[in-house]
Amino acid sequence: MAPADATAPAASPATRTSRIALLGNPNVGKSTLFNALCGLRAKTANFPGSTVEHHVGSFRDRRGREFELIDLPGIYSLRLELPESRLCRDCLEGRIGDCTPDATLIVLDSTNLVRNLQFAASALRRGVPAVVALNMSDEAARRGLSIDTSAASALLGCPVIAVSGRSGTGLQELTDALADASAMKAAPSPSTPLPEGEPGSGESVRWANQLLAQVAGSGASSMDALHDRLDAAFTHPVLGLALFGAVMAALFAALFWVATWPMEWIGSIFDALASLVTDVVPPGVLQDLLADGVVGGIAATVVFLPQICILFFLLALLEDSGYLARAAFALDRVMRRFGLPGQAFMPLLSSHACALPGIMSTRLIPDERDRIAAILAAPFMSCSARLPVYVLLCGILFADRPLMAGAAFVGCYALGAAAGLLTALLARRTVLRGPSRPMVLELPAYRIPHVRTALATAVERGWMFLRNAGSVILAIAVVMWWLSAYPKVESPKVTPDDTISATGTDGTARGSSIADTSTLAGDADRDSSDAGAARAQQEGSFAGMAGRALEPLFRPIGLDSQLTVAVLTSFMAREVFTTTVYVVTGVGEDGTDDQGTLERVRNATRLDGTPLFTVPTAWSLLVFYVLAMQCLPTLALVRRETGSWRWPLAQFVWMTAVAYAGALIAFRIAGGGA
Amino acid sequence: MGDRNSVPAEPVQQDPVRIPLTQLRRGQRATVECAALDGLPDDHRCLLSAMGLGDSCQLRVCRPGAPCIVQVDGTRLGIAHDVAAQILVTPIPESSNPIRNGPR
Repeated sequence: MAPADATAPAASPATRTSRIALLGNPNVGKSTLFNALCGLRAKTANFPGSTVEHHVGSFRDRRGREFELIDLPGIYSLRLELPESRLCRDCLEGRIGDCTPDATLIVLDSTNLVRNLQFAASALRRGVPAVVALNMSDEAARRGLSIDTSAASALLGCPVIAVSGRSGTGLQELTDALADASAMKAAPSPSTPLPEGEPGSGESVRWANQLLAQVAGSGASSMDALHDRLDAAFTHPVLGLALFGAVMAALFAALFWVATWPMEWIGSIFDALASLVTDVVPPGVLQDLLADGVVGGIAATVVFLPQICILFFLLALLEDSGYLARAAFALDRVMRRFGLPGQAFMPLLSSHACALPGIMSTRLIPDERDRIAAILAAPFMSCSARLPVYVLLCGILFADRPLMAGAAFVGCYALGAAAGLLTALLARRTVLRGPSRPMVLELPAYRIPHVRTALATAVERGWMFLRNAGSVILAIAVVMWWLSAYPKVESPKVTPDDTISATGTDGTARGSSIADTSTLAGDADRDSSDAGAARAQQEGSFAGMAGRALEPLFRPIGLDSQLTVAVLTSFMAREVFTTTVYVVTGVGEDGTDDQGTLERVRNATRLDGTPLFTVPTAWSLLVFYVLAMQCLPTLALVRRETGSWRWPLAQFVWMTAVAYAGALIAFRIAGGGA
Repeated sequence: MGDRNSVPAEPVQQDPVRIPLTQLRRGQRATVECAALDGLPDDHRCLLSAMGLGDSCQLRVCRPGAPCIVQVDGTRLGIAHDVAAQILVTPIPESSNPIRNGPR
């Protein structure tokens, strides 16, 4: 199922597809209507040179004519000097893509017509043939609000159709009207003049109220009292934050626990794929490239897909229910202290599961500067990929003191969060200096969330992530694999005694704990010699050479050449660090043999026979991994989300520098380098 | 702690009593007039106006204080302290206001 085929924006001249731009205020159910019309035949793209995204989808009417639907960002006015308003103007004036849209579909919230009609008037004045969709008409009807669409149609000079994106009512009529409108050369004039003023001006408000008086019966029932109470609870300084904590705890439980199963399935699917490649492709460079480089590289990224889909599914539910806006509002005061808006809290919190979905969800933040500041802060949050590293290093530091290990763990999370927030503050005061958007947030009505729209969002974000994984990440993963797999080091002879000497390419006899394995019989011998071969390979590869070359750079923070290799190879993904450590200490790649693993790693030695992990070294590494940008997929995603390499590179340099400085301080405090 | 402009604008000397939005009680109604938003930068004023908090609109306070939540027609807006403090409104006496949901 390729998502992009049906939606390629370039229409071939032979069968010209009509282009329709979808316009509307935020929170009017535009995305639900878009999904109802286009289903999954949609893709998300950023406008050229910007971080503002839009969706492009396609649908057919009953006569088989094809339409391309561009879902523009929700805006309050076309005239505002905000990036999203500018983009909508550019689109309507044909400055984006190759032509102006053939028609606009203006989506209004039927339950909030005074403001929405004013927006419609300002959009209609642009002169592009239009159709007005009164969305959520079912909800308006439930509130006892009736609207005479034919009278409204005459007054506005364009078809007005009552629809519901949720239930799908009125969609047929809507597509027919769009077909007619897109065939027009110019928009017909309305029977009464449209207001000249912008939405919110006195003239515009009066016009909307007059029009409503002519077309709408009064709505009776209202849920104001209940909504007031809910608002008061959700935005209460104490209760609101407690409720938010509960919601977040549930979200995290889902993210960490529910995602475990699909993550395991994905892992085993890729394992099967790798062994299939090994079976089918003859041994050699091609087999290694496919099995380790390509399959391994993709697997390391795709394994996060379940977390991303689950997060976006739940976030979409929360957003649709109306809760998310309240939470952002309640948190705004706290977040402003760090130069971030309330909307940044959710992305930063979800970055604790994984920075990738966190960074993708910064799209909730309306202001571009705020959004980039949040993107800069997100990778500092301790993601789940850091967990294996924390477990290993805290285990080394506090072997028999679980309480201390736990405290160190919490400390890691706190250090990461503090560094991230301070980075955001620093960025907002320097490179991202500029006025904040006034914190005026529309709090949409409470609704039962629409599961189908949430599923569509989850699928769409998942695809977006996979496309990213399939391009940049794959390419760099292959390069990283090649660097650590080549040049090939000859496998050492497999005899029990050789397993000791095979561990060092320089032939230094080493009294390491790996020697213990030589006393074991049978399979264990083979395993340890495999580990030895892997270690030899690690050291002889380009990465190993780089490790030795860069070792002087890392010596001040307590790393030897082996740990330098581990740091370098884990640039692709942090968890690779543990794998590399297991390889260089001869435990075996997956760190099996649970009982002895930690013991063996703790007892591992350097080439000169001194312990590999001293206390200062372990502290230094721990701080380094809390703060360092050791995640290739994140860099690739930041490039995608910000539209240039400038931010990911700056972020990489900054985080590495902070991590290095932090590690140096930790190393010194812990008594290293004395 | 407001970043900037956090000092409430001085109330303009006018006959109807104008008070900052932050001083209204829960459920109280008030009118916003054009000049009431003068303390805000241009682009902020345009955004507020487009969001529904425009000239001569009538609002109802859902959550008083700062930050506050107000309702204008069918729109609920959450307004941060530094913005709300600069919006001057004319309270509508309780008895003279039979309309529930704005001037419809």
